[in-house]
Amino acid sequence: MKGRDHRLDSALGIAYSWISMLLMAAVCLFILVTVARYGAGKLSLEFLITEPGASAVDIEGGGILTPLIGTVLLTMLGMLAALPFSLATAVYICFYARPGALLTLVETAVDILAGVPTVVIALFSLSIFVLPQFGFLSAMIETDGDGGGMAYGRSFLVCAVTMAIMILPFVTKSIIESLRSVPGSYIDGAFALGAGKWRVVAQIALRCARPGIVTGTVLGMGRIVGDTAIVWFALGGTLRMTGVQPWYMPENWISTLRNTGSTLTTYIYYTSPAGEGNSFDTAFGASLVLIGMIILLNAAAALVGRAWGGGNGQDAG
Amino acid sequence: MAGASIVVIALIFVFVFYKAAPVIGASGVGLALSGGFDTQVSKAFYAPAGSPTPAFGMLGLIAGTALSCGISTLCASVMGIGAAVTVCEFCGRRGAAFFIAVVRLLAAIPSVVFGLIGLIVVVPLVERLFITVDMQIEYLDYFQMTGRNLLSSVVVLSFMIAPTVVSLSADAIAAVPDSLRETGYAFGMGHFRVIWKIVLPSARPGVIAGVLLGAGRGTGEAIAVSMVCGGIGVIPSAGFGLMNLLAPTLPLSAAIINKSEAMGSGHVAGALFSCAALLLVLGALFSLTARVVSRGFGPGGSGGGIKA
Repeated sequence: MKGRDHRLDSALGIAYSWISMLLMAAVCLFILVTVARYGAGKLSLEFLITEPGASAVDIEGGGILTPLIGTVLLTMLGMLAALPFSLATAVYICFYARPGALLTLVETAVDILAGVPTVVIALFSLSIFVLPQFGFLSAMIETDGDGGGMAYGRSFLVCAVTMAIMILPFVTKSIIESLRSVPGSYIDGAFALGAGKWRVVAQIALRCARPGIVTGTVLGMGRIVGDTAIVWFALGGTLRMTGVQPWYMPENWISTLRNTGSTLTTYIYYTSPAGEGNSFDTAFGASLVLIGMIILLNAAAALVGRAWGGGNGQDAG
Repeated sequence: MAGASIVVIALIFVFVFYKAAPVIGASGVGLALSGGFDTQVSKAFYAPAGSPTPAFGMLGLIAGTALSCGISTLCASVMGIGAAVTVCEFCGRRGAAFFIAVVRLLAAIPSVVFGLIGLIVVVPLVERLFITVDMQIEYLDYFQMTGRNLLSSVVVLSFMIAPTVVSLSADAIAAVPDSLRETGYAFGMGHFRVIWKIVLPSARPGVIAGVLLGAGRGTGEAIAVSMVCGGIGVIPSAGFGLMNLLAPTLPLSAAIINKSEAMGSGHVAGALFSCAALLLVLGALFSLTARVVSRGFGPGGSGGGIKA
């Protein structure tokens, strides 16, 4: 025995662990309470269904209709764009790839992509989608002179594609994980019954992994909802929809998608003291709605995971 | 279609470096070794069209990234490992489920909300607790001392990084076989001693991967930090001592957001793309190292991935 009191060590260690956890829980609670306290006064049906004021001066009076629609629109478009690629990559890695250079390359690419900061992806989108070849995604700018022209490079479509790039690795990884948790006996059994490879993948593996796939999808949607940097650069961050008005008429939908707008996150940034709007309680009102959406998404993910047998219920956060 | 990631990551490298090339070429080694980014940006913004690419110096930004991310990763690791131990060892199933939910929620709170809270709560608090008028006057020649500084950035960033550390560490700790723990008890070790001497070392690859991925998140985090960092890339100086913590700072990622309004000038855009190029390389390094670490060592590796 060394001359140290192990019981004291132990008590200190346990205290340190609990303090760490309780501190994090307290901060989480504090954020929720602060947002709720400042934001609740602003919350009303009217706040949700009126458009934002047109400029920083009358931002106080407006609501969050277009940012809210923007968030929902972008989340769905981004997920639609990412899901096929994620599914294909995961199925390839789990079932079709032979160990070798190509598999390593795909896995490494997914890993690196997961580590690229969103602000870098945002700048990247700004550099590639201004090429005239991508003009169909946003508006073309007429430049005088050589007639080459540039695309504006900021629109809902551009932003959705960029978001898809951002979430691609996360959705892919969670699908891979749920595919790997499918019991091998199911797959061997299907092969033994004479099913072809594609049949096994489509009807056994993907079906068994469904809860995990849905959970991954929902978590990816949460990332889109919460992102600011990409929206700031790729969506333009204008408060209102800038396509042909009125933006909500079906004949103008294409125009709306090809033009700029905002989401709740850029709206919060704009109205916070850091932006131009400087309207404190509007920012908290929008934050409250945003956090509400995220909690709903997370709850939905947990619920789906549990309802369908909890395929990968053990993974932490 | 499975090749999409390869194509995309290749395109990202090509385009970011292509855009950054003129500025990197014009500044050479000075890009990483000299300061003055803020004045250079405003000068480049007002420079007449067609003027040659000016040199930029990002030392202040690099220092800002290193300091803010380094210190907050340290804080987040201390806090995160403790929290992971609590989740896995000290509270029952119910408690663990509750705390995991809390950690997930903290991870899911958007960075702009962290920034907003930082701006409304942390910044005034730091200003009231640490900064006096005398200090402001004393350092007036060097920088303007306000609540928007390195310390506020560190506080905000720590809580943004910690959830990543907790979830990967908790996975790794949960994967440590019970037989190892029981061996420890059989030798008469106390509960925490078993954790400290047996469980944590066995879980080390997963914990390190969590810390690395957390650091990666910290380097890339732009919005929240740009809201509380003060927006000036002051180069830290040994002479200021702890006062460096109260100096405004500007990490690379926050600089991209902060100076984005000046992007109409091609030179400024080039400078921001060189920030992005550096961040890109750093991010790739962090995630590759995390992967190597978590695959390389024996059991307890969590498969080398970020989980949502």
